[in-house]
Amino acid sequence: MEEGMGSIKIFIKAKCPKCPAAKEIETELKREGVPVFHYDLDTIDGLAEASYYSILSTPSIIIEDEEEKEVISWRGVVPSLQEVKQYFFPLTPSLPPSQGRGEG
Amino acid sequence: MSTVIEMKGDRQGLREEVETTDMALFVRTSDEAMHGWDRQRIVEALTRETYVDLDTAKEIAREVEDLIATSKIKMITAPLIRELVDTKLIERGLEQARRMHTRLGMPLYDVDQLILHPNKENANVPHGPEATNLTLAERIKKEYALLSVFSQEIADAHMRGDVHLHDLGFIDRPYCSGQSLEYIKRFGLSLPNSIAMAKPAKHPEVLLAHMVKFAAGLQSHFAGAIGWDSVNLFFAPYLVGMSDQELEQLAQMMIFEFSQQAVARGGQAIFTDLNLYWEVPKHFENVPAIGPSGEFTGKTYSEYMKDAQRFAWALFDVYLEGDGSGRPFFFPKPLVHITEKFYQTPGHMDFLHHICDVASEKGNTYFVFDRGETAKISECCRLSFKLDHTDLEDAKQPWKMRYCALQNVTLNLPRIAYLSKGDDTQLFSKIAEFVETAVKAHLEKRLFIEKLLSLGEKGPLALLAMERDGSSYLRMHRASFLIGMVGLNELVQIHTGQEMHQSEQAFKLGLKVIAHMKLLVEKFSQRYGMRFVLEQTPAESTAYRFAKLDLKYHSPKSGHIVKGDISRGEVYYTNSTYLNNGAVLNPIERVRQEGLFHPLIEGGALTHIWLGEANPSKSSLANFVIKTFKQTQNDQIAFSPEFTTCNLCHRTSRGLRTSCLSCGSSDVDGITRITGYFTKISSWNKGKIGELRNRYRNQAFLEQTAEGIVLKAG
Repeated sequence: MEEGMGSIKIFIKAKCPKCPAAKEIETELKREGVPVFHYDLDTIDGLAEASYYSILSTPSIIIEDEEEKEVISWRGVVPSLQEVKQYFFPLTPSLPPSQGRGEG
Repeated sequence: MSTVIEMKGDRQGLREEVETTDMALFVRTSDEAMHGWDRQRIVEALTRETYVDLDTAKEIAREVEDLIATSKIKMITAPLIRELVDTKLIERGLEQARRMHTRLGMPLYDVDQLILHPNKENANVPHGPEATNLTLAERIKKEYALLSVFSQEIADAHMRGDVHLHDLGFIDRPYCSGQSLEYIKRFGLSLPNSIAMAKPAKHPEVLLAHMVKFAAGLQSHFAGAIGWDSVNLFFAPYLVGMSDQELEQLAQMMIFEFSQQAVARGGQAIFTDLNLYWEVPKHFENVPAIGPSGEFTGKTYSEYMKDAQRFAWALFDVYLEGDGSGRPFFFPKPLVHITEKFYQTPGHMDFLHHICDVASEKGNTYFVFDRGETAKISECCRLSFKLDHTDLEDAKQPWKMRYCALQNVTLNLPRIAYLSKGDDTQLFSKIAEFVETAVKAHLEKRLFIEKLLSLGEKGPLALLAMERDGSSYLRMHRASFLIGMVGLNELVQIHTGQEMHQSEQAFKLGLKVIAHMKLLVEKFSQRYGMRFVLEQTPAESTAYRFAKLDLKYHSPKSGHIVKGDISRGEVYYTNSTYLNNGAVLNPIERVRQEGLFHPLIEGGALTHIWLGEANPSKSSLANFVIKTFKQTQNDQIAFSPEFTTCNLCHRTSRGLRTSCLSCGSSDVDGITRITGYFTKISSWNKGKIGELRNRYRNQAFLEQTAEGIVLKAG
């Protein structure tokens, strides 16, 4: 992970009906060079990480800043790609600014 | 000493119908043995008890007879003969037969010591003849369990200290349970083997009497706690029209009954959990209420909310006062369930303050958090049972809601870390091995209990097999099989060099270990169609036992890891998934961090907040409770003050002291929570004493203000 960059953590589970939508967002974000971490709650690492964030339902998405502090989280719901970008890009001056925000 | 090896001829007829009491007469010591000697007895014992063939049995009998004849032994006892036969079996390599033929029991010296000196394994058991009976019986049942119920592989794992099979001395019982008052409200009291039968109660005092008798019967059939669901709600239809004073009286009766009942399990008080609600639990709102004479009153439980609340309030009035000398009641334990609905129910803040007042003054209150529509029934000090959709169907006929845990098997986590020597793959692989061992142990115990239950109401577990509502009282399909753990903190310390509270890395390893265990038990549950769940083992003596065994087998490393004072023998491992209880942490942080484990531990979990002698204001505790509910995932908390009680003048003061504040006597005893209940410190084992010394009593977070002492919550 580059310095001065936030990160996005996505939590899914194999049989959860809303998760494919979250996976799509993940694919899209990765294509744009965003550091996305993928956690499957059916694995040890995934379940442990989910517990650390008190994630009790899937899909869930957490955006953290470069100091690993939570900026925003969606738990059990899938936001739009737009919304995710809206919160993530202000953290990373090196990446293009988001669309649809009043400033800059 | 009486003679008992009877002449062969006299007993011929009786031998066919031998009951246990008669056999006891055969096998006593005798000094007239040669007179009644009959080697045929050896042959009969071997063919009755083992698979040894007749010729071999006769040969062995002759050899033993020769041995005795040529020796100069003056006194032959039946036990001695048995041991001589056993050596002959060993000589022939007949190990299986020897196991089946072996005698269980204790040396004379040990029995002598036992009758005179108290046994500290269980802080609940007072010293006395019933207690001695319990210990003697437990010893034999333990041996029996390890020889005959569990396979050698499992027995060895227990004896090595890889795992701990709980309550081996109660091998012929399930572990703990959740009960419903509705059962006796509807069916009255008609227990197998009881000499009288009672119709359903008409009055609350009688209902209480039924409840207490039933609890006593149940306690004789369970090793652990008897938990009662929604007690105040189910009593409510009987309380309509009662005056405040009458209600107070009933509350007093209930608490005094359950705090004094010294029956079953060696004269201990019945381990009673009263689950209480301020609101009417959603799943009971529209359920038709049962009232006097066991008849439906025509109303649903939601219409009895006010009476249920009055009763809950009255119970806490009694808890607040304490017993006749102002001490906190040790039992029954009040568990107050808080759901989202609590906050929408009028009067909840006043009630919260009332129960927090009790928590601060006396420490009794357990705060159970049932978040997000998960209804839970707490069974014992932390075991809880999540209700799934079939249970919620059962809620319409609440007398069906009977649950139990059949057994608890606890893993020695630090041991796994010693064996893995810092290698991650080894660590996770060994965890899986140990979990599998626990699962095997459960399968073996289940088989045994099912054998006993299959004998129905004429068998040894008649009460659990009785069928008053069409299904047997113990519902095996709803039984849980618990897998617990001790020393997660020390496992992490061994593996990473840091304790869980010392770094995020260390803490996350702890989460991984428990996540791994959770995924494993889910897999096993599917494979066997049984409910394996993780539980935070209370580990009153197990944390001590494991530490001692590891000092034996894993020194010198373990010497740096075990907690407590080695020189005093006061060693222990940190309980279950707790953070080091001596760590200086903001209590709300401790609650939050420990709470991260709780969703993984489906069987139930708890965090302690040790108060020492501090007496924080009820409003600061209420604030703390609300924060815990809203901002953490913590399942359950309990505040534990400490007291000193004087054996001379019988007064009680706060804090642990070496002499009485009132009369100055040094004949005092401390009182505080050991793991899941209050008890006198003089009965604690060394491991728990060691842990008591280390408890952080949150001094830095208790602040003196104009309103009194405040427990800071963030």
